[in-house]
Amino acid sequence: MTCSEVERVLPELVDGAPDGAFPADFELHVKSCPACSDLLSDLKLIADQARDLAASEEPAPRVWVRIAAQLREEGIIRDAESRPVLVPVSPRRRWTSTAWWLAPVAACLLAAGAYVVSHKPVPQVASRVSTPAVTTPTPENSVMKAAADSTKAAAVASATRPIPAAQSPSRKFAAPADVVASAAKPTVEPQPSAEDQQFLSVVSTRAPSMRATYEDQLQKVNANIREVQAYLVRYPGDADARQQLLDAYQQKALLYQIALDRIQ
Amino acid sequence: MTDPKQRITEAEAIEQAKQGHEAAFETLYQLHKRRVYSLCLRMVSNPAQAEDLAQEAFLQLFRKIGTFRGESAFSTWLHRMTVNVVLMQLRKKGLPVVSLEETLEAEDEAPRKEFGTEDARLTGSIDRLQLQRAIDRLPPGYRTVFVLHDVEGFEHNEIAQIVGCSIGNSKSQLHKARLKLRDYLKFMRAEKAKTG
Repeated sequence: MTCSEVERVLPELVDGAPDGAFPADFELHVKSCPACSDLLSDLKLIADQARDLAASEEPAPRVWVRIAAQLREEGIIRDAESRPVLVPVSPRRRWTSTAWWLAPVAACLLAAGAYVVSHKPVPQVASRVSTPAVTTPTPENSVMKAAADSTKAAAVASATRPIPAAQSPSRKFAAPADVVASAAKPTVEPQPSAEDQQFLSVVSTRAPSMRATYEDQLQKVNANIREVQAYLVRYPGDADARQQLLDAYQQKALLYQIALDRIQ
Repeated sequence: MTDPKQRITEAEAIEQAKQGHEAAFETLYQLHKRRVYSLCLRMVSNPAQAEDLAQEAFLQLFRKIGTFRGESAFSTWLHRMTVNVVLMQLRKKGLPVVSLEETLEAEDEAPRKEFGTEDARLTGSIDRLQLQRAIDRLPPGYRTVFVLHDVEGFEHNEIAQIVGCSIGNSKSQLHKARLKLRDYLKFMRAEKAKTG
């Protein structure tokens, strides 16, 4: 039994062959030949791990938005009483005092993501200006922190796809020069951030039936962000991973935006 | 799922979707979106394109929901439709869905030993992102068969029917895809080990 003969039947081995399907000297060769043994082991590992990739990715909320819009246009959705969760049902309205900060935060998430994608792996530089510590998640503190991140990231060209984010309010809250941080990586909290908590609080107040859904969506996108960030810690120069992180930021920003449109 | 109070079964959602209820469509979408999108993404390796394909697959499904009679599982119906949408897109672009090669080539027969005996085996588990990236690097023909078989669980006879090749070709493509992935993964590990 040669290695070449063994490799001819490897596909059956990897996918599971019934007992006795192959002669005894074949199994003996596989056990005694390190190269064939390693090859079989590796191919089985690849096939096994591949199964975990099925249903492993989450599409952006905008996919459902587009589907629902198209179905309505074609008259396939026919009821006027159903309440979609992630589909804006009314044009953007005047912001209320409780939710005005959502738009700049959404814009800042996008800017932060664009910064991450564009940032080149350079030696770490200590921040010249420390970000004000946020002890109480007030709208003002959230906006200040978001504004600081936004200003730092706004200087970097974005290669992202256009997403309807509120631009005017973010410029309105642009921070002065002395609060611009250096080119350190933007931080994303591993726990629900103050902004996320406020976001959910507002949703609970304005649209309580949607809180569970938004909380679930937020947890998923935050988990995705954490996973890719952890990967980038090990492999900071990985451009694909950076793009994935940007996509995750975009998804989170869109979630905020859709909520903003819904609860106005 | 949306409001827990409004949760319905898939069968109920299908019947309500036939009546045009938006919540029912959304329920079906939420139930299957990850599988559909992941399949599209694995096949085309482009998130924006995968979104478009997933959107198209769901639209085609929802347009035909009135014809669904329940003879087979809804997920199977959707799954097959998604594959067809993706393959149609690949064919439109002129990309090969599967290679025309029928048998193993001589140079592919010997087990590979490029990386030395100390690191000859892919030990432990494979990093998911690295595996995704390795799959993205596969030639389109290999990637199609690998994704359909190892990721999505189609059998070779189903793949042969879907993509229009022989069962032998499907098996051959799969084997070559796995060999290439092994090479890519080892290369990635070696590169990462160098950069620390």
